[in-house]
Amino acid sequence: MKDARIDRRLFLRGIGGVAAGVAAATALGACGTGTSRVSSSGGGGKTVVVRDSGGSYGAALQKAIYTPFTQETGISVKVLNLDNAPLLAQIKQGRPQCDLINDSMMSHVKYAGQDALEKLDRDRITSLKSAKIPDNQITDHAIGHSFYGQCIAYRTDAFGGRKPESWADFWDTKAFQGGRAMCSPDGDLPELEFALLADGVPMDKLYPLDVDRAFKVLTRLRSEIKKFWDSGPLPGVLLSRQEVTMSTVWDGRIADLQKQGVPVARQLNGIRRQFSGYAIAKGAANVDAAYQLMDFSLRAESQANLAKAFPSNPSSPLAYEKLTEDERNALAGAPQYYDKGFDTDVDWWLQNEAAVTQRWLEWARG
Amino acid sequence: MAALTAAPARPRKLLASRKTRVGILYALPVVVYLLVLFVYPIISTLFLSLKNADGSLTLHWYVDALTGVNLSVLITTLRISAETALLSLVFGFILANAISRLRPLWAGLAMLIVVVPHFISALVRTYGWIILLGDKGLVNETLAWAPGAPYQLLYNELGVVIGTTSMMLPYTVLLLYGVMRGVDRGLLAAAASMGAGRVTIFRRVYLPLVAPGLASAGLLSFILSLGYYITPALMGGPNQTMIATLINQQVTKENQWNGAAAQGVLLLLLTLAGLLLVKLVSSLGASAKKRSAS
Repeated sequence: MKDARIDRRLFLRGIGGVAAGVAAATALGACGTGTSRVSSSGGGGKTVVVRDSGGSYGAALQKAIYTPFTQETGISVKVLNLDNAPLLAQIKQGRPQCDLINDSMMSHVKYAGQDALEKLDRDRITSLKSAKIPDNQITDHAIGHSFYGQCIAYRTDAFGGRKPESWADFWDTKAFQGGRAMCSPDGDLPELEFALLADGVPMDKLYPLDVDRAFKVLTRLRSEIKKFWDSGPLPGVLLSRQEVTMSTVWDGRIADLQKQGVPVARQLNGIRRQFSGYAIAKGAANVDAAYQLMDFSLRAESQANLAKAFPSNPSSPLAYEKLTEDERNALAGAPQYYDKGFDTDVDWWLQNEAAVTQRWLEWARG
Repeated sequence: MAALTAAPARPRKLLASRKTRVGILYALPVVVYLLVLFVYPIISTLFLSLKNADGSLTLHWYVDALTGVNLSVLITTLRISAETALLSLVFGFILANAISRLRPLWAGLAMLIVVVPHFISALVRTYGWIILLGDKGLVNETLAWAPGAPYQLLYNELGVVIGTTSMMLPYTVLLLYGVMRGVDRGLLAAAASMGAGRVTIFRRVYLPLVAPGLASAGLLSFILSLGYYITPALMGGPNQTMIATLINQQVTKENQWNGAAAQGVLLLLLTLAGLLLVKLVSSLGASAKKRSAS
């Protein structure tokens, strides 16, 4: 009798512990998904809410774009860090939390396909002409403001003074020994293009991608790939800890390591470029201010200022002229590097991303 | 003894109706809260998982989720969760047992050390693990003389289980610590005074007393591991992909809510199955005890 009572009490305490634990876990999990929007609009002044991806990029935007914009126009800028899916859900409910969306051009095409973006009035964006934004970065719903690239990063001390020149070298584990790291679909689009380049497909004939061939080439390297990275800083970590000798990397992410004296370098040959752009959410509360902030951000001067604070590559060719030679050389978008890489074919990936991601998982789990 | 337990039973009956009314009043806010924010979303998720693109009912999201690579991911999820639950139970037991013998100050300090990793960002934590477990890490450098070194301690299942176990330890330790503090040391002394050896005391007295705590700690770490994905993604390879990763990919990358909902429902069912299993085991244990007592 007594035994049973103790048991039950203990059991209840145990269950209570489970509940407390689950609650704690939920709370811990919730910590990671905060948004930095503050809903107080003090003083009744004009406000615009912009979505960006936060982190060090968000900090650079704040410094190079938002603060100067507020100084010039008096419009205060609030920042929202939100994933595509919840943002899309908000727009569909007719009450988006943000006005201006800073996201990849591929996401914008998805948004536009879901009727979630305002059709842009180009006359209201005067910097389109003044900054000479290239025509292929201007769509009905979004304007490309910069691109990021994915290229090779390697340890300079690993190959006896030789340096990898191409994706074929990335695949050549006899001449360039050591582990590799590549991107997982959690981080970015699967790196099929690099496999095809390594196999000798010319850069201008990549798309439409030969998926079968790409996976066949990837299989040759599979056993050497120690880690599939899913976040920007990881390739740098793996290289500096000598876990791998070569990795794919978002260009710019190893600059800090180089400054710290870690023997790493990048190879821009065969860099894959993906553009990011601005768009205005359908049903946005502050459309005028959104246009103004978009216009301000696209100015060559603003783009140059951002490039000084963060390794993003301006879409405006004029922006590069406003940088010092050192600053320009650090950017993969500088004129002298431009022929080394290729633009991601957004339309091809939009049609094939889901299938390729699924196949990638099957391939990687082997 | 009998009078003591019988005494509160009579007035309880008299109070029953008023108590029930007050109880309902107290419970109402929570019930409404749960209905709106818990039951309704779960039911709509269930419907989402049964809906075709054209709005008709279908089971093909479940067929998708239970075939091919998705099925193998599901099995991986179960396997890693079970391994994690087992290991965090073993280590949690040893740790909690040691901590429950410490003086409160030291116990608090030890708890702090167990809990602190939770408040470090995932990337920093992973960096720490790489320093410790990488090819050029502390463990492999110290074991450089051993045959077969360097050992692959990361980017495989071993790495993931090391990571998830360390994440689960605070829960199992906290839970077991509470239960162990509640154990009457007098009972152990009594058993010893009647000639029981240390093993017998542990097996016949101590273990049965903490068993409910063990069951709920194991269950908790199993359930929490089911939904994990940051640690497996950082410390494992593609073979350690967990189902939460797939759900995340479908929602955030592919805007494919139906498939994600189906996998979410499966995850929920697995969790409930786990709960049921523990309930079953504990009630079987209780009836066995009753039989042996009579």
